[in-house]
Amino acid sequence: MINRLAPDQSTTNARSLILASVRKYLAESAHVDAVCEPGAPVVEAMPLTGIDDDAVRRIEIFRDRLESVGGHCVVTRGEAQAIQALNQIIASLPGRRIALSDAPLVSRLMKSAETEIDEQTIAPGAHELFGYDIGITTAQAAIAETGTLVLESDRERHRLVSLVPPVHIAFINAADICLTLGEALERVRHDGSGAMSRTITFITGPSRTADIELTLTIGVHGPKELHVIVIE
Amino acid sequence: MDHLTTETFDANARAALTDVQLRSALRKATSLFGRRRLEAAKSLDNWEELRSQARAIKDKTLLHLDRYLEAFAANAEAAGAQIHWARNAAEANRIVCRLARERQARLVVKSKSMATEEIHLNAALEAEGIEALETDLGEYIIQLAGETPSHIIAPAIHKTKGQIAELFTDKLGIELTNDIAKLTCTARQVLREKFGAADIGISGVNFGVAETGTILILENEGNIRLTTSLPKTHIAVMGIEKVIPRFADLEVFLKLLPRSGTGQHLTAYQSLITGTKRRREDEGPDELHIVLLDNGRSRMLAHPVTRQALACIRCGACLNACPVYQQIGGHAYGSVYPGPIGAVITPQLFGLAKSAQLPYASSLCGACREVCPVKIDIPELLLHLRAEITEGRSQKAGGRRQEPAVARRRLERFTFKLWAVVMTRRRVYEWSGRLLRRLQRFIVSRGRIGQVGSLLARLAPPLDSWTQARDLRPIEPKSFREQWREMNSNDK
Repeated sequence: MINRLAPDQSTTNARSLILASVRKYLAESAHVDAVCEPGAPVVEAMPLTGIDDDAVRRIEIFRDRLESVGGHCVVTRGEAQAIQALNQIIASLPGRRIALSDAPLVSRLMKSAETEIDEQTIAPGAHELFGYDIGITTAQAAIAETGTLVLESDRERHRLVSLVPPVHIAFINAADICLTLGEALERVRHDGSGAMSRTITFITGPSRTADIELTLTIGVHGPKELHVIVIE
Repeated sequence: MDHLTTETFDANARAALTDVQLRSALRKATSLFGRRRLEAAKSLDNWEELRSQARAIKDKTLLHLDRYLEAFAANAEAAGAQIHWARNAAEANRIVCRLARERQARLVVKSKSMATEEIHLNAALEAEGIEALETDLGEYIIQLAGETPSHIIAPAIHKTKGQIAELFTDKLGIELTNDIAKLTCTARQVLREKFGAADIGISGVNFGVAETGTILILENEGNIRLTTSLPKTHIAVMGIEKVIPRFADLEVFLKLLPRSGTGQHLTAYQSLITGTKRRREDEGPDELHIVLLDNGRSRMLAHPVTRQALACIRCGACLNACPVYQQIGGHAYGSVYPGPIGAVITPQLFGLAKSAQLPYASSLCGACREVCPVKIDIPELLLHLRAEITEGRSQKAGGRRQEPAVARRRLERFTFKLWAVVMTRRRVYEWSGRLLRRLQRFIVSRGRIGQVGSLLARLAPPLDSWTQARDLRPIEPKSFREQWREMNSNDK
């Protein structure tokens, strides 16, 4: 690893020059700004209307939105049902090399899973991960209105397991499903000790592109399949 | 197609108009994106409030940009990021190249970034012997073909799958196929190896949060997550206007940007990165370098009209809505930033002298203003720039050859005074209309301006600037007022 280099002279210099330039030009516009109409006042974020906010509705909205972007969703009651759902998903897939995140829930559920597995590793290194077929993680939160999973890097080692293998399976606690994007942002901002995770990833469906003739193609760089198991 | 410049816009546009394949692709893309944007906007019942709110946040930030930049830099540094300041493209390239050299980098993977395209970072890296590989599928195709993007959201829309297949067969040695899924899969496989081998990942930034020092990057493919997760070093190039004050402000922009760009409620992935990892054994890069780029942006703060352009969140909605872009596509603009927003940003970033034709590449219809998620008044900006161009010209002419400039200005003033006299007096207006209609009999035959007339119009200097790009049409035999009077008397 390379040692931290002190910022060199030119960068420090550039900093003060850019800030000076910003101030200079803003000052130039001050006399015009004074006679201009003030911009629109900052409106507080609108609450989402038309949705009854109860836990069951949240799960339904989450599933609808996730399925509308090509993700799969199973809602289960308790860990026993979640294991069943996991077995079914794995059985339906061709690959048997499985990478797990370090979440205790994932290990616990995998221990009880009855499917045949060729290989199972907790949080393999980046380069080994290219050889795996399935990545299994949990998510720290979800957003119902967009069908989104929220992964916080300080809480679980799942940044790569959720990204590199062609199939991503994620467990989410029903209680962790937020209704709105705003709620989720608020939650990750002040989660746990108050320090935000260094990397937060929002995942909405499988990887997609329409770069060739605007034809939607699933699974370009990230996972081609996303399965979410909601545990009530 | 790859050597077009802003200076030759008129010629570029004329060439693009004859490209049948390009125009059919543009029709398809712009109408599809336009339709999707409309549907997505309807999914929120407070779309207009969100637009106003987003603009208000941007206005507030830009008015105190120095403070927000300092806060952003301080908070990002506190979280372990290293901040670099670059006044212009050359400085930014020097910083990135130095970082790459110090790490003995041979291969850099890049995710789509307008800022790095603006500074031509790839060329700078290649001059150092470092391979810079674009990993967004569209950008990868364009890079393989040695071309430039034609749309900011879908860079390769001007190419057919057949052309892409030929390109892949030629450059990657795969069997010729017209199957888009297979082509995509080929790119996936080729690029996976590169992600694994790359020394540095370079990305852009969609939003930088001052309050936390967080950078947010949106995408659909997953290449940005790979670029910012696998290599040991992550360099993010960020225009200084990308700062927003609060983490909670992200909500508004995350609702507006995907809906305006692709019509999605949210793109597949958002990466919110705050500094570097906490523990050595954590996943992700060891270092994060953020290069804050000015390159002409601070200058745009000097006037509320020009400052608006810094509120742009690069969604591409104005491109899809623009009747000019719909016909000519992105290449004709000769700039990284095409379309209506390009026509106002390009001259301000790179100088009016080099792109004086761009502010005129608009009918001022206002469609861009209608769709802009941050309510940038692009027509107002276009007029502002046109005025600057005209003032610049007359000043220049005033210095050297005073006579024609003064004569022209006098003529202009006289013409507009005459116009005002006619337009504000009903009787004069009607009388002059009758006179013109009588006079045009000499040059109109069978409802069209005859050859003599068009020749006259083309030759006469003040008129020719109108007829260069437009047909000259005869005045209708009866004025609207006359038709109206007749219609009403018939009814009775």
